[in-house]
Amino acid sequence: MNTTRRSGLNSTALALIPLAIAINIAVGQLVAVLKLPVYLDSIGTVLTGALLGPWIAMITGALSNIIWTLLGINPPAIWFAPVAAVIGIIAGFAGRAGVFQRASPRWLSAIIVGIFLFALALFVMSFVNSTTDAQGNLVIPNAADLLSQQPIVFIVAFVAGLALGYYVLQNAGYAGLVGLLNGVIAAIISAPIAAYVFGGVTGGGTDALVAAFRASGAGILASNLAQGTVSDPFDKMTSYMLVYLIIQALPRRVLQLFPNARATEQLRPASEPVTSH
Amino acid sequence: MQSAYIPGTSLLHRLHPLTKLAGAALVITAIYLLPWPLAPLVLFGGLLGLAYLSGVAGPFLRTALRVLLPITISLFLIQGLLFPPPSATPLPLGPITLRREGLVFAFVTSTRLLAFTGTLLLLLETTHPADLVFALTQRGLPSSIGYILLVALQIVPNMTARATDVLEAQRSRGLETQGGVRRVRALVPLVGPLIVGALVDVEERAMALESRAYTAPGPKTSLRELVDTFSQRVARWLMLLGIAALIAWRIVMAL
Repeated sequence: MNTTRRSGLNSTALALIPLAIAINIAVGQLVAVLKLPVYLDSIGTVLTGALLGPWIAMITGALSNIIWTLLGINPPAIWFAPVAAVIGIIAGFAGRAGVFQRASPRWLSAIIVGIFLFALALFVMSFVNSTTDAQGNLVIPNAADLLSQQPIVFIVAFVAGLALGYYVLQNAGYAGLVGLLNGVIAAIISAPIAAYVFGGVTGGGTDALVAAFRASGAGILASNLAQGTVSDPFDKMTSYMLVYLIIQALPRRVLQLFPNARATEQLRPASEPVTSH
Repeated sequence: MQSAYIPGTSLLHRLHPLTKLAGAALVITAIYLLPWPLAPLVLFGGLLGLAYLSGVAGPFLRTALRVLLPITISLFLIQGLLFPPPSATPLPLGPITLRREGLVFAFVTSTRLLAFTGTLLLLLETTHPADLVFALTQRGLPSSIGYILLVALQIVPNMTARATDVLEAQRSRGLETQGGVRRVRALVPLVGPLIVGALVDVEERAMALESRAYTAPGPKTSLRELVDTFSQRVARWLMLLGIAALIAWRIVMAL
């Protein structure tokens, strides 16, 4: 079936986008039932990016949040549509780069998450230990001082990251890495929206983190940024990992429908069996 | 189709969707631009009155409270009581000391959110989503975007039901959904069937679209008809002028 047309939205995209939006919402609700500490409300967006590229995923993300509003479940969700759109763009470029097709060795996944958690611990610690000087300027402590004062925190973070990468992420290291970075970018874009429109709270469990950062003396915008960079990367990492695992398990015939997946098809040796999960 | 729409025959129900959309845009602009702290609350009162006249006051209040109560409580606790700005004015009240600026911030943010949510809810509860999308496509929204929105609204209940089915089926096969970080990997057998099922649908849906010449160029007819009147057209222009005037007024005030 050849559906390539002058516009970007051919019938395959038109059929996939509504399904992806519904997946975003259904999985988001499923996770709430399971009481997992993630939102996972962008799996459909990441999937569209992996299969059909950045622009179609951008539309999927933005329209997802508009649907949350139209359904009347969560009317203010429309404010975060730009964040969802950017997630789609990043997932699409990651898909073009073949991130969802390449398997990484488990030790590499371990090192990726280990280094990420180490950097995150450094960020959070320098944030919590920051002080204001006489002029009211924020003084960020020296990274070397932090490392020597509380080495345990950083060792624990690094080891936890190694374990997370080795046992949870396994072969999805490349997808997980993009997911972690995507989470940081999403946090940076959503922090101002959360701070100015929502006063920095969501009414959910992550508000405890915001309260903790506020207690350390940070402003509303800074607290939100810190909260986002702590919780968003793991949420996006999980979404990317799930999309990677599902694409690995998809039949060839289904993948053939989607140009992005087809372009990188050659990366997987034909003889290699599809890993089962 | 799952949506916030509640069927009815009130004046608000009968208005052209674009008139209501322009009205909502005007109210939202006013919520965020009017300088008086009580303005959002007054506007919300007006919206509640309109909702009562349109016969949707019950669901209107219920959804607004369900969405905003947790946010409001968090706001007052975190930004209002516990961590107000350091230079805030103390406001002693019995054994605890409140801070004026913190409470004002929490109040302004939560009432703005309340009025914003109320505006959208009133629009959506009195307008059938298909009418709203059709009105927008008549004014230049790409019909593909309209199609995506309407289909998504239609298949969300199906997809949610399918997700519940998959969850129950996997649990009956002994899938652990409780305990440990590794249960994150338990999401694979839950999300996998959902996505694979959807992707298998894609081909069929795409063929259905092609066989109905959906992507063919040229004008299309619609089963829906919207009633528009001259007075509504004038009202829309006036409301758009009102938005422009509000923005201009605030810019002049800021200079």
